Amino acid sequence: MSWTTKPSATTKIPTRAEPYCTQAMKDRWTKELLPRYATKQGALLPILHEIQHAYRHIPYQAMVEIASFLSIKPADVMDTVTFYEEFHTEPVGKCVIGICQSIACEVCGHQKLLDHVRNRLGIEPHETTDDGKFTLLALECLGSCDTAPVALFNETLHEKLTIETVDRLIDEASRADGGSGHH
Amino acid sequence: MLARATEAKVAMPVTEPVLTKRIPTAPWGDPKNRRTVGVDDFIATGGYKSLEKALDITPADLVNLVKDANLRGRGGAGFPCGLKWSFLAPPDGGRRYLCINCDEAEPGTFKDRLLCDYDPHLIMEGIAIACWACQLDTAYFFIRGEYHHQAKVVEKAIQEAYAKGIFGKQGLMNGKVKFAVDCYLHRGAGAYICGEETGLLEAVEGRRGWPRLKPPFPAVKGLFGRPTIINNVETLAAVGPIVDKGVAWWKSLGCESSIGGAPSYGPKLMGVSGHVNRPGVFECDLGIPLRKLVEDYCGGMRGGKKFKGAIAGGVSMGILGTDQFDAPMDFDIGRKFDVMGLGTACPTIFDEDTDMVAVARNIARFFKNESCGQCTPCREGAGWIYKIISRIERGDATTKDLDLLLEIAGSMGIIPGTTICGLSDGNNWAIRTIVNKFRGEFEARVKPYSVAVSSVGVSAGVQLSVLR
Ligand SMILES: Cc1cc2nc3c(=O)[nH]c(=O)nc-3n(C[C@H](O)[C@H](O)[C@H](O)COP(=O)(O)O)c2cc1C
Ligand code: SF4
Ligand code: FES
Repeated sequence: MSWTTKPSATTKIPTRAEPYCTQAMKDRWTKELLPRYATKQGALLPILHEIQHAYRHIPYQAMVEIASFLSIKPADVMDTVTFYEEFHTEPVGKCVIGICQSIACEVCGHQKLLDHVRNRLGIEPHETTDDGKFTLLALECLGSCDTAPVALFNETLHEKLTIETVDRLIDEASRADGGSGHH
Repeated sequence: MLARATEAKVAMPVTEPVLTKRIPTAPWGDPKNRRTVGVDDFIATGGYKSLEKALDITPADLVNLVKDANLRGRGGAGFPCGLKWSFLAPPDGGRRYLCINCDEAEPGTFKDRLLCDYDPHLIMEGIAIACWACQLDTAYFFIRGEYHHQAKVVEKAIQEAYAKGIFGKQGLMNGKVKFAVDCYLHRGAGAYICGEETGLLEAVEGRRGWPRLKPPFPAVKGLFGRPTIINNVETLAAVGPIVDKGVAWWKSLGCESSIGGAPSYGPKLMGVSGHVNRPGVFECDLGIPLRKLVEDYCGGMRGGKKFKGAIAGGVSMGILGTDQFDAPMDFDIGRKFDVMGLGTACPTIFDEDTDMVAVARNIARFFKNESCGQCTPCREGAGWIYKIISRIERGDATTKDLDLLLEIAGSMGIIPGTTICGLSDGNNWAIRTIVNKFRGEFEARVKPYSVAVSSVGVSAGVQLSVLR
């Protein structure tokens, strides 16, 4: 991981004075998470979930902070972060729309939903709108094939989706954010 | 027993609900009446009685009981659960682990979710019994990241189980035995490969979910280098009822093998999706013919259309052809119907209008996206398979591409001996069975193979190497 080990490299990670992993977080991790696992690294996934949730991404600085908290190398943290789809190194939108594209959803009409959201928001899967409000993801089977087509809006699963419902959900998300709704 | 649903034009299966005893499911109940069963309701309806009974049995006898019942794993491979448990060495004083596999990311599969959503304590009871039987002191409930709601329900159930003294340092079941078990929820983060048992272990250890080479098997050297048992949610949920009602009862459900193989005992959750009138999870005896499952439980094909084919049980298993609608859903299905196996027993049904090339492309994309990238044949093969099928779908491919497709697919996996884990076998079986069973449809989409040499068309038979 050249970004932490090359002493003279031009690559610099963006930093801020205030740590991402707050003392309160670290105290809680020490009390609740570390005792659960035989190694400190065992606590990495739950910690990353919390950071992703709090900051909508895992900043490089946070990876360094987590590494020092767990006494592992920043490279090990980055290795794990970049493997899992739910962890992002760039901020995702306030509303992440994850449309299932697997087989049951495809044969039950996921494509028209995906196309509708692409057109309405003007982004392709795995892109975020310029105002940072929406991220569109095409996901694999969400384990709700009997109610296909389905999509996750942040942490909530919506089943038997129609274009009308998708529009309503996008409207609600824009309103919640005081936005115009990307029409 | 739950009130019988009025809608049900459903043939009564021979058995009573077992895993769905508390989850209204046709034909015994109406799914609309489902709600999460909390710990008090669970206990009031006979819950944790099996655990109490199990704690009066020695661990060794319990392992033998599960062995005698011939409970086969519900996670996909159908491996005998009691046999797996018996691989553990005797306790040496160090940590021993149970990992509960609730990754459920196999496309088409949504059965474990039902148990998490509505009867999480049935799983907790199975966990506690398994931990006692195998003398495992720590259990990690590994649940896929996308199951946000289920993670909350399961976490609550774990806390309730602690509060009732099932788990915790006082010993199982309020210290009925000294042996103490801790249970923790561990959330995945969006990677199908973490459903593979050793990929799962890596994820619990906080690393990328790269499957490990076996041996050593997890029962010998698993999580954090210690003896570990990995079981599917549904497998564990079945343990309580077996302890409660006995081996003879369990063996009265399901079916014997018709080809001299291992039997398929017990009920099984089957999640049907795709082109049927009432998709959903049903509890059936193993051995129910797919046609009966679709017609009696799911209200038949949607719009009265004809059956064209079905994913056998998660896309990895491959596809059942138009003439295989009567295939019995049991562990013989692989050997009898040219699919990899029963898998998760969650079929996705396709009607006559389905474009099988598109189905193949969808599945190929899934495996390309989910290959963990460790083994070259899987990583590269999955990419090429996707490219070739996309080419066929666009109409840009030739007959030669079909052979290339089958050659690449057939070379990938543990069975051909080229990869570390079974993800690649899934890709292999899915693609080969769909191309073989719907060959006409693929051939109709490809052009005859010819190579232009100067201005003369040369047919596929010509040795290209000679021309070069
Ligand atoms: C690529 C791949 C994905 C898998 N995904 C799952 C899964 O999501 N859930 C599961 O229980 N088993 C899954 N398995 C099977 C597990 O490796 C393992 O066999 C199973 O969890 C054992 O439990 P059982 O014996 O109780 O079935 C998967 C296997 C492979 C190769
Ligand atoms: S077969 Fe594929 S998924 Fe399995 S370990 Fe190899 S590369 Fe990873
Ligand atoms: S295929 Fe979309 S939820 Fe399973």
